Amino acid sequence: MSKDSKMRATINQKLTEMGERERLKELLRSKLTECGWRDQLKAHCKDVIKEKGLEHVTVEDLVVEITPKGRVLVPDSVKKELLQRIRAFLAQHAT
Amino acid sequence: MSPAGCAHVNAYKVDNWRQNLRVIYQCFVWSGSAETRRRKAKSCICHMCGAHLNRLHSCLSCVFFGCFTKKHIHEHAKNKRHNLAIDLLYGGIYCFVCQDYIYDKEMEQIAKEEQRKAWKLQGVGEKYSTWEPTKRELELLRHNPKRRKITTNCTIGLRGLINLGNTCFMNCIVQALTHTPLLRDFFLSDRHKCEMQSNSCLVCEMSQLFQEFYSGHRWPHIPFRLLHLVWTHARHLAGYEQQDAHEFLIAALDVLHRHCKGDTTRDDNGKKANNPNHCSCIIDQIFTGGLQSDVTCQVCHGVSTTIDPFWDISLDLPGSSTPFWPLSPGGDGSTVNGESHLSGATTLTDCLRRFTRPEHLGSSAKIKCGGCHSYQESTKQLTMKKLPIVACFHLKRFEHSAKLRRKITTYVSFPLELDMTPFIASSKESRMNGQYQQTVEVLNNDNKYSLFNSPRSLSVCCGGVGILCLTLHGLCLCVSCGGADIICLTVCVLWWSRYSLFNCLCVVVEQVFSV
Repeated sequence: MSKDSKMRATINQKLTEMGERERLKELLRSKLTECGWRDQLKAHCKDVIKEKGLEHVTVEDLVVEITPKGRVLVPDSVKKELLQRIRAFLAQHAT
Repeated sequence: MSPAGCAHVNAYKVDNWRQNLRVIYQCFVWSGSAETRRRKAKSCICHMCGAHLNRLHSCLSCVFFGCFTKKHIHEHAKNKRHNLAIDLLYGGIYCFVCQDYIYDKEMEQIAKEEQRKAWKLQGVGEKYSTWEPTKRELELLRHNPKRRKITTNCTIGLRGLINLGNTCFMNCIVQALTHTPLLRDFFLSDRHKCEMQSNSCLVCEMSQLFQEFYSGHRWPHIPFRLLHLVWTHARHLAGYEQQDAHEFLIAALDVLHRHCKGDTTRDDNGKKANNPNHCSCIIDQIFTGGLQSDVTCQVCHGVSTTIDPFWDISLDLPGSSTPFWPLSPGGDGSTVNGESHLSGATTLTDCLRRFTRPEHLGSSAKIKCGGCHSYQESTKQLTMKKLPIVACFHLKRFEHSAKLRRKITTYVSFPLELDMTPFIASSKESRMNGQYQQTVEVLNNDNKYSLFNSPRSLSVCCGGVGILCLTLHGLCLCVSCGGADIICLTVCVLWWSRYSLFNCLCVVVEQVFSV
């Protein structure tokens, strides 16, 4: 594993252990709902389902279609805020 | 994507499968306790590449974690012929033979229960989950096929109220109550189970009122039954005199609370909670807060604390005969809550600061101190121990003194968003312990309030007196001029953007009824 992914793994471990990961997920969830991201993607999901047909569509289809769009549509302010939170947490719990 | 699972899921359901599944959910998907979190942090990585991202899945038949995106778990499934895996992020069950996520009713049930348990352990409580209709509800839906579609511009839930003779005070409070989202949700989902024998249950009448408001009828409603019931249950309000809206609100909440007996939640044994001090009716859940009163002895500094429930916060105003102005230490009167002091206007926050300031009780009002065992001078301070979900502020505009009853017309500005953090009991304790309260952006929204209802009284140029009620959907103006002529206007203010308060306003005036 590269140094980068090692660091990621360590950070993830720390976040999970202290329950911060769950809190961050909640924060992210509410921020993304507030700014309309969730509704946009929900509408996109509906389009995909209509296209593929309700009986034939799989979760995989949706994941493949939604993921790139979802990544792009996250507002910068939300990214910044989450990053800030993570930094603050790491600063607090530095070993 | 059939809800009945698949053959392979059914093949899995042998031996102690329920318990095994629960363990997997508890340990690796929704880790509630600190111990499970630690275990999850250490062990939830792919057994092939060590990554924790890439949609990690756990095999249901053995201890193996693998990436989904990199197909590591797929390899394992093929090699070991273990057909099922669980998504560690969301708890979904994947079948490699059917090549899709499978929704099995029993497994979904287990998943939900474990998720709820984890939330409880984390101290999160209940979170929003989508509605799943019961059999009975599905039946009702089939028997009643008419559906109402809510579009952005529709006026459902808005209805004018006829003035029955100086009842504008009642009408504006009724409008405020029908626009209280929690109350509306309670009544529209039929949560009231009436236990009163007679027909005089005010809660049933409220339920009926909500049905009227959401019926889609556009002509004004005549709330004569409601008025009659209120007169029956709150005799002091009976008659055609102009009454105080605030008095009506308290009386209405009181009667509703008393009539809610059938709805108090049952405890885990299915028995009703009969504790009068701890009512859990909808009125108490929404409106009741706790006011903490601390009396500090000036000699021994011992504090005696009492906590009283309240439905409203009655605030004194400047211009009354009692002195108003001393702001508590630490208050600089600048832009708290986004209120501006440009014109020197009093703000709601000012009134709250005054309400929660320490007050010297004076030598004529000595309290017997439990510490000193004698009568001593003391200071008293009020703070909010428990904030209600809906906070009702009452501005004491009517001053009764020995000689007269006059109305204080001081303008008080109030914000659209109010942060009650400086006024709660724990904030005061932190200040006293020397922790400086910084005005950092508060990520926690627990103590913030948004304005959604504001019944106010105004004078109309034709000489009558009206009551204006500003709700989230619009202004409801009930005007009575000289008692006989009734003009009822509904002004609809449409909020264009759902995601931020006023990007743009459009005002539509609709004259509903005129003489």
